[in-house]
Amino acid sequence: MSIFIQYTVNGLTAGAFYALVALGYTIIYGIIRLINFAHGDLTMVGAFIGWTVLVSMGLQRLPVFLAIALAALASMVVTSVINVGILQFAYKPLLNKSLLAILITALGMSIFLQNAALLVFGAGVQAYPHLVTSSGVFIGGVRISYAQTIFFTISLVLMAGLYSFARFTTLGTAMRALAVDHDAARLMGINVNRVIAIAFILAAILAAAAGVMIGLYYTQINFFLGFLLGLRAFTSAVLGGIGNIPGAMAGGLVIGLLESYCAGYLSGRWQDVFVFGVLITVLIIKPTGLFGERVAERM
Amino acid sequence: MASSQAALKSVTAPISKVRERIGRLPWWLQLAVVVGLAMLVPLYNDDYVTSIGVSVLTFAMLGLGLNIVVGYAGLLDLGYAAFFAIGAYTTAIMTVKLGFNFWTTLLPAIAFAGIAGAILGYPTLRLRSDYLAIVTLGFGEIVRILFTNWDYVDGPNGVWNIPSPSLFGFDLVDQNSYYLIGLILVLIAIIFARNLSYSRLGRGWVAVREDEFAAEAVGVPTLNLKLLAYSMGGMWAGLAGAFFASRVSAINPSSFTFLLSSQILILIIIGGLGSLPGVILGAIVVVGLPELLRGLQNARFLIFAALLILIMLFRPGGLWPQVRARRAPFVGLEDEEEKQTAERPFKLQPSVAEGEAILRVKGLAQRFGGVKAVDDVSFDVHRGEILSMIGPNGAGKTTVFNCITGVQRPKAGRIEFDGRPLGRLKPHSIVRRGMARTFQGIRLFKLMAVFENVMIGASVRERNLPWQALLHSRGERRDERRALMEARYWLRFVGLEEEAGRLATELSYADQRRVEIARALASEPMLVLLDEPAAGMNPTEKLELMRMVRRIRDRGVTVVLIDHDMSLVMNVSDRVVVLDRGQVIAMGTPAEVQNNPRVIEAYLGRDDADDEAELAEATGGA
Repeated sequence: MSIFIQYTVNGLTAGAFYALVALGYTIIYGIIRLINFAHGDLTMVGAFIGWTVLVSMGLQRLPVFLAIALAALASMVVTSVINVGILQFAYKPLLNKSLLAILITALGMSIFLQNAALLVFGAGVQAYPHLVTSSGVFIGGVRISYAQTIFFTISLVLMAGLYSFARFTTLGTAMRALAVDHDAARLMGINVNRVIAIAFILAAILAAAAGVMIGLYYTQINFFLGFLLGLRAFTSAVLGGIGNIPGAMAGGLVIGLLESYCAGYLSGRWQDVFVFGVLITVLIIKPTGLFGERVAERM
Repeated sequence: MASSQAALKSVTAPISKVRERIGRLPWWLQLAVVVGLAMLVPLYNDDYVTSIGVSVLTFAMLGLGLNIVVGYAGLLDLGYAAFFAIGAYTTAIMTVKLGFNFWTTLLPAIAFAGIAGAILGYPTLRLRSDYLAIVTLGFGEIVRILFTNWDYVDGPNGVWNIPSPSLFGFDLVDQNSYYLIGLILVLIAIIFARNLSYSRLGRGWVAVREDEFAAEAVGVPTLNLKLLAYSMGGMWAGLAGAFFASRVSAINPSSFTFLLSSQILILIIIGGLGSLPGVILGAIVVVGLPELLRGLQNARFLIFAALLILIMLFRPGGLWPQVRARRAPFVGLEDEEEKQTAERPFKLQPSVAEGEAILRVKGLAQRFGGVKAVDDVSFDVHRGEILSMIGPNGAGKTTVFNCITGVQRPKAGRIEFDGRPLGRLKPHSIVRRGMARTFQGIRLFKLMAVFENVMIGASVRERNLPWQALLHSRGERRDERRALMEARYWLRFVGLEEEAGRLATELSYADQRRVEIARALASEPMLVLLDEPAAGMNPTEKLELMRMVRRIRDRGVTVVLIDHDMSLVMNVSDRVVVLDRGQVIAMGTPAEVQNNPRVIEAYLGRDDADDEAELAEATGGA
């Protein structure tokens, strides 16, 4: 039993990271119907910005929480700028032309970010400082590290923040309106371009937070980490029902748990097969994901 | 951006002119030119260059296959490398482990990959394309991981020492022979792909891509066609995989990653979706560009990605977009054959007698949430009559049409067509039974030529099989000719023969409605349902339409018509059914209906509704 709880704790932690990245996929898909392949790589860039601040610039010597806060902030600012840049340069000119063309520019951006990181930070693994101690509390044989507690809590707070933003603010309502119908939203006086840009900033902020936490939690990052991370996060978003914000959160946690159980009880070799198997089965039974999509079908 | 766009225009404009001119040459001549150019590569006699050429050919083969799935049928596939892997592993296992000759492994490689395509396709057919993206991606990963964990093929190490093929006692080991084999395979693949593109199958796929819902409703068996697209796409990749395995002589799972799948997708989209010359160009760009950039070392994929984005930004339709418009589609058709078409009775004849009920609707009910859109509607349509269905907006007319044609499942009620219940038939089967329709909002297949739109209808009664389309067999050619002839006949019928070669979107609103009618009639229906055909037409066009509706009836087709134009309805109809708030409130001859107090009340009398109804009529309905 305690092993099961241990797997659950580990799975929830990884799942929280997936959920944060999945939210980025879901927000952007909900608004412009694009599977933003570059999003996983943006998260990777976020992790590297955090690493630069902490290690290259030496801020790790500051008090722990200040150092992490600064690293996260810097990462959020830089990824936001990058993401809005990607939007303006590579996506916006194609927005009303061809969805497939945007998909390809998104793939291109993914390759671009990976190789840019490869050039700047090298092909090897970079080590994050051990700022958040991995010691923790033992409860009945289950070890819950401080890192897990802190990161899970932060993730939940961010998700709650995003949810309330979308639900209770005017801008959030505008965003949801845009998800249903661009033209109607524009006619109602919504500044469509601005709302899209804000969605890209929100996605970048969550990705940066996830990137820095992933760095601190796993303590090793490389230029390729965005691919698998993005794949799993995208899977989470679809599993929960793409475009659906609570769905992406739940989807992330479910994927994290599934992986952890599969790696623990079966074998790590099969965990991706297992996860995709579950995803495909869910989609066949319920084609709009667990929580149903929040994207109006255009007939 | 604007000035660079203008500068770019000055470069691309002459290029597109050249492209257009090349496009006008007969297709076999184009192919001959391509082969001629391709032969320069081995003549250059540099192993490095030739080996890049072999890679281009491999990618071209893959691109031709994925083009069927994504380009023709519009199904996003991000796991295409899986089929390539299955083909490669089939050849590797059969030659290395089982001792077969390379040539004998080709068919099994094709077959296994095709079966894998069907396995992936079948459960996922009902998914929308964005979900398809993740499912196919997952499938690609699953296949790769299965090979990685399969001990029989040495897991991550893969299979080594795959023998090269031999032909007439010669071992084909050098790059030049692979290049020649690859070229021949690509040529065959191009010819097959071209045959498919301009066949009943290809048009069906493009129709699914353009508007799946409308395709099903005008008689295209969309689910079967999607499954076939997956399966055929898989076969191409299987062949390419067999070729690849033999050429590199050692394969392992890391050759079949998501990166490969995305490269293949990239090549067909930068080439131009659905375009065969585009596939070749795309393969050259995707393989050649990184090679050209080799000098940049680590930065080469960075530059490649940047160039890729730039290509997409400046040419969102691809480098060589497919244009399905034709200058003179009917050249070479004899007028005598034309007459036969005109006089020939429809293949399908009603079993009920003239004047009897060809369509019986009993107790039809449909709800959306709490709204009763249609509530216990019953009426008959007699063979040979023109029946109109009128009523204020929101009365449920289109919903009745949708239930009859199988597009929606009614909550209750029974529909009998030509003496037999329709049950739960799919829309395309109902079309095959002899019922055709048009749509309130025009739903033509936009990037297809007008005559092709009509051929979609004409192909409903064809029975040729996929392999016949692939080989462009004699039977298939005859069917194609007949369908083309019928397309011409029905376009002439609606007065649009001159516009046949243009794209559907280039026509005026009224003309698009006429094309829809021609498309419906080309399926030789016993009953045709016209949903607001006069919307957006001016008075002269409406008069013409009225005459056309009578001519349709004279051709032996029963007509059910929805329209808001009262003078049209009252003039042309034998009987009128009036719906209001989901119920039949009156039925009878135009004169009877016009004097019915309930009808007058529904249209004029009620204080709360009259403004809306009038407004709706003025704006042509929504």
